[in-house]
Amino acid sequence: MRPSFFFFFLLVLLLTVDGYLYLSAQKGYPVHSKDQEVMRQVVAAFGLSDLAVATEARYTRHPAVSDTMVPFMDHPGSIEHFPTGSFWYPEK
Amino acid sequence: MSQSIVQKQLNILDYALSSLVRRKLKNCGIFLVFAAVIFLLASFQLVTGALTQSADNILTSVPDITVQQMEAGRQVPISIQSLKKLDKLFGIRKKSGRIWGYYFDEKNGANYTVLGLDFGRIKPGKQLNLSLAHGRFPTAGSEGEVVLGPSVMRNLDLGTRQSFSLFRPDMSMVSFKKVGVFSRETALVSDDLIIMSIDDARELFAMAQGEITDLMIQVGNANEIDTIARKIGDLLPGVRVLTKAQIRKTYQVVFSWRSGFGSICLIASLAAFVILAWDKASGLSQEEKKEVGILKILGWQTSDIMAIRFWESCVVSGLSFIVGYSLAWIHVSWYDGVLFSPVLLGWSVLKPSFSLVPVLSLTDVLLVFSFSVVPYLGATVVPAWRSAIVRPDSVI
Repeated sequence: MRPSFFFFFLLVLLLTVDGYLYLSAQKGYPVHSKDQEVMRQVVAAFGLSDLAVATEARYTRHPAVSDTMVPFMDHPGSIEHFPTGSFWYPEK
Repeated sequence: MSQSIVQKQLNILDYALSSLVRRKLKNCGIFLVFAAVIFLLASFQLVTGALTQSADNILTSVPDITVQQMEAGRQVPISIQSLKKLDKLFGIRKKSGRIWGYYFDEKNGANYTVLGLDFGRIKPGKQLNLSLAHGRFPTAGSEGEVVLGPSVMRNLDLGTRQSFSLFRPDMSMVSFKKVGVFSRETALVSDDLIIMSIDDARELFAMAQGEITDLMIQVGNANEIDTIARKIGDLLPGVRVLTKAQIRKTYQVVFSWRSGFGSICLIASLAAFVILAWDKASGLSQEEKKEVGILKILGWQTSDIMAIRFWESCVVSGLSFIVGYSLAWIHVSWYDGVLFSPVLLGWSVLKPSFSLVPVLSLTDVLLVFSFSVVPYLGATVVPAWRSAIVRPDSVI
């Protein structure tokens, strides 16, 4: 077999695996959508504003309702020092 | 004519593949490092994409307007009487106050989000009850009843106990009774919550009677949100008024490529790889130079040799891209982006167990492609040209 045919065969094989991975992720979408609907109800009932991802600092727990100066308000000369602060981009 | 061009390129591809196999150790090394770099870039993009998508889908039902009182640049309590002042504004469908605060658990260093609400205004429906793993929501007028987020429940180590105590600011204790626990499926919004009545929250935080922290406003006509928000700002001096659009916009930008971690670690690793690719491609061995010389003696043109190098780069970068992106998909889809969890959670004591569903979008794929494959192809162009212009008589 020519090396290029073997290469195209490998390419098709990899793309088939990718297709399987995509379809297997698709299977989880209905359950995920149902959970999201319940979460929407929780957000509506309690007036939540943010995702509960990082709970280490107030401004990373609730970035949507914190202003950009909050990380520096702990004391005069305070610098932003929480690890998640470097991951979360402040809104402008 | 076109058939002969295809045949020629197929022949060159055959030669390029044989050439790659002859130097398999070097090319396998580049392939593995390149696939790892693409895996990191794609994982980052898929994790942030999944979180942004979740935020976009879930936060559609946030209050239309949230009002907070500011003093000296900091948030302070607002009087519940402020709600009455809003009666004169037309267009407000629903308004309520709440106490929203944080409780730091000194025993284990965890931060809980405490929400004190008026349960008389909340109508528990079937969907809302589905958010509970077990139990119920506190009823209007009940005292000391709370609903806990799954991580709070675990962190308080309640076991089968229903009652627990929290400290007021003066270190006296307030007792609470757990009546419900949020399910793990809703952990993305409820993980660190303690939901209680507004009076219980006021007692826990030792706030004065009539004080709350936020006003939540629902507007009848969505087109009037900005107008009403502006009027509220005029009516209540010193308040910060946040609209639903502003809250949702935050999550469009908060997980960003431009964030410190994303830009420094990922771009640095990409730059390191491009340097490696340049170094590997430009360091021609004597054997490789001899090979080019023989090909030229046999009648191959400079453009043909450049085509070989081009195909070699395409094969290595293409395979690395497919394998790296597939591994990133598995990492996010099956393992919920476990490698990025320490960065996402930082020093958080409560670790929510949310599941991420990656989103396949052409924009993301092209972004990762242009950040990885294109620089690699660019980095190998000059070394390929230098190898192609070797004079046969100088190497043989």
